[in-house]
Amino acid sequence: MAITNFKETQSFETIMNGLWRDHPIFSMVLGICSALAVSNKLENAIAMGAGVIFVMVSTATLISLLRSLIPRRVRMITYMVMIASFVIIVDLFLQAFFPNISTALGPYVGLIITNCIIMGRAEAFSSHNGLGQSILDALSNGIAYTYTLASVAIIREVLGFGTLLGYKVTPESWTNWVVMAMAPGAFFVVAVIIWISRTAAGMESE
Amino acid sequence: MKNTMNDIVKMLLFLIIIGTFFTSSLVLMDGYTEPIIERNEIIKMKSGVLNALQIPFTSETLDERFSAHVEQTEIGERTVYVTKEGAVAVPYNGSGLWGPIIGVLAVDPETDRIRGLTIIQQEETPGLGGRIAEDEYLGQFTNKRFSPELELKPEGRAEGENEIDAITGATLSSKAFVKILNEEYSRYKELYEEQS
Amino acid sequence: MLASLLMVFIAAILTHNIALTYLLGMCPFISLSKSLRTASGMGVAVVFVVTLTAVINWPIYNLILVPTGTELIYYIVFIIVIAATVQLVEMLMERFFPVLQVAFGIFLPLITVNCMVLAVSLFLVIRDYSYLTSIVFAFGSAVGWIVAIVIVAAINEKLKLIGDIPAGMKGPGIIFVITGTLALAFLGFTGVANI
Repeated sequence: MAITNFKETQSFETIMNGLWRDHPIFSMVLGICSALAVSNKLENAIAMGAGVIFVMVSTATLISLLRSLIPRRVRMITYMVMIASFVIIVDLFLQAFFPNISTALGPYVGLIITNCIIMGRAEAFSSHNGLGQSILDALSNGIAYTYTLASVAIIREVLGFGTLLGYKVTPESWTNWVVMAMAPGAFFVVAVIIWISRTAAGMESE
Repeated sequence: MKNTMNDIVKMLLFLIIIGTFFTSSLVLMDGYTEPIIERNEIIKMKSGVLNALQIPFTSETLDERFSAHVEQTEIGERTVYVTKEGAVAVPYNGSGLWGPIIGVLAVDPETDRIRGLTIIQQEETPGLGGRIAEDEYLGQFTNKRFSPELELKPEGRAEGENEIDAITGATLSSKAFVKILNEEYSRYKELYEEQS
Repeated sequence: MLASLLMVFIAAILTHNIALTYLLGMCPFISLSKSLRTASGMGVAVVFVVTLTAVINWPIYNLILVPTGTELIYYIVFIIVIAATVQLVEMLMERFFPVLQVAFGIFLPLITVNCMVLAVSLFLVIRDYSYLTSIVFAFGSAVGWIVAIVIVAAINEKLKLIGDIPAGMKGPGIIFVITGTLALAFLGFTGVANI
């Protein structure tokens, strides 16, 4: 596929919609629950993001493959069982190989299940699109989720702890903004990010 | 009628297949990760005990150091870790300001003198109460005595052998922490005296 | 005993508020806190479902999953219980309390995706609460959630009257600012009760 033509393909549309236009957090303000609580350290955000990407891609793959087989009446419960099972796998994986991150995330790993984006994309996209497109959609939505969460986490970790991924990035004289490490900081950072991104996109609400 | 029956059978069949698939993959995953998770728990406990007793170790020498210096015993219903020199490492657990504070306290039970202590898990405010877990703060506990218990003083005022500096701006967290230590130690001491 | 139950209840509302401290249940928070009426309607539905699911989930976990060694699948079980409870409450309400159904029936389906319902059940397991404490904690958390959403909705309504809010800040943006300020105010309760 020539790069010049890439813009007109459906793949490009799928990716762009996932990454920016249907942006799950800036525009739809969905999936915000799990995004906020663990966003005071970048490593937590990356772990959560990786978990969400894994769960989304896996469910999208399965649902897309099975889409003609899943009986309509039990489809929601099927999606739920799939998502919950993949979340358990993520949870076990973190407990085994990243015990410190697992302790830090606590119940928030389990809450990936109620992340509105995953269920939303499963129902709206994977259930009636082909395998390739579904994976692309899941991947781009997952990456969008991750970079949103990571951008909140970068601001909060630098201001709140003076570090980034645990490495000191601020001068010696830096005073940590304790509020950024606590819950209120998350609300304020998200508010400012929404403000900036909405103003940049020239969008008006209501 | 036949059609709906067919649908229901199909639906049930589908649910059973999906259920079996996920159950077996979860069981596989669990079997694979279980020993690693158990090992993580053991490492956490052992390194907590050794740190509290201030016995140096590396990740390679952890098991060897642990078995060379420490012996696990039960006292009452508590598990404690005794060294050859008579010091004892008592795991403690109590509620801090925001969540549980879990760690290990190493004491010489004859003199009530603290050998050292560690915090394994805490959820206090980062940068304020969270400072209780920093070595700098925990360091001041070494050689203090429970006589009869630890007392909290404003930062910089701790002089007596049972006095501990609070953290300015996080008095509540330091208070909760010292209270946990006092309670857990007096509970252990009771058991210890009963036994001897 | 009673004192410690009261402590858990107060902590769940003031110091460990599920919305303001744990930042949970924000999805409906954003969409519903635009008006006081919808906020309180959703609040009542949440109290009902959160308490009921805790009442059901605790015995399932401690009396069925733990003895059979199947704790592993508790995520799946909890989420199915929650979905089923919501469905059941909806059906019962339609049948027996049509008045209530009209008042806050439309909020019920939204609750399945409200992450605080699952979160409360997960906290019960992680904190190893007794049955009674679990119920008090669940009820307290839900009440705490209502307190938060009602205050935010009320401030938001008043703000609209005098407001000269920048375009990009309208809607979700300003709600986050209000909630953040409220969370900051609630930090003043720190130490009143420990969980």
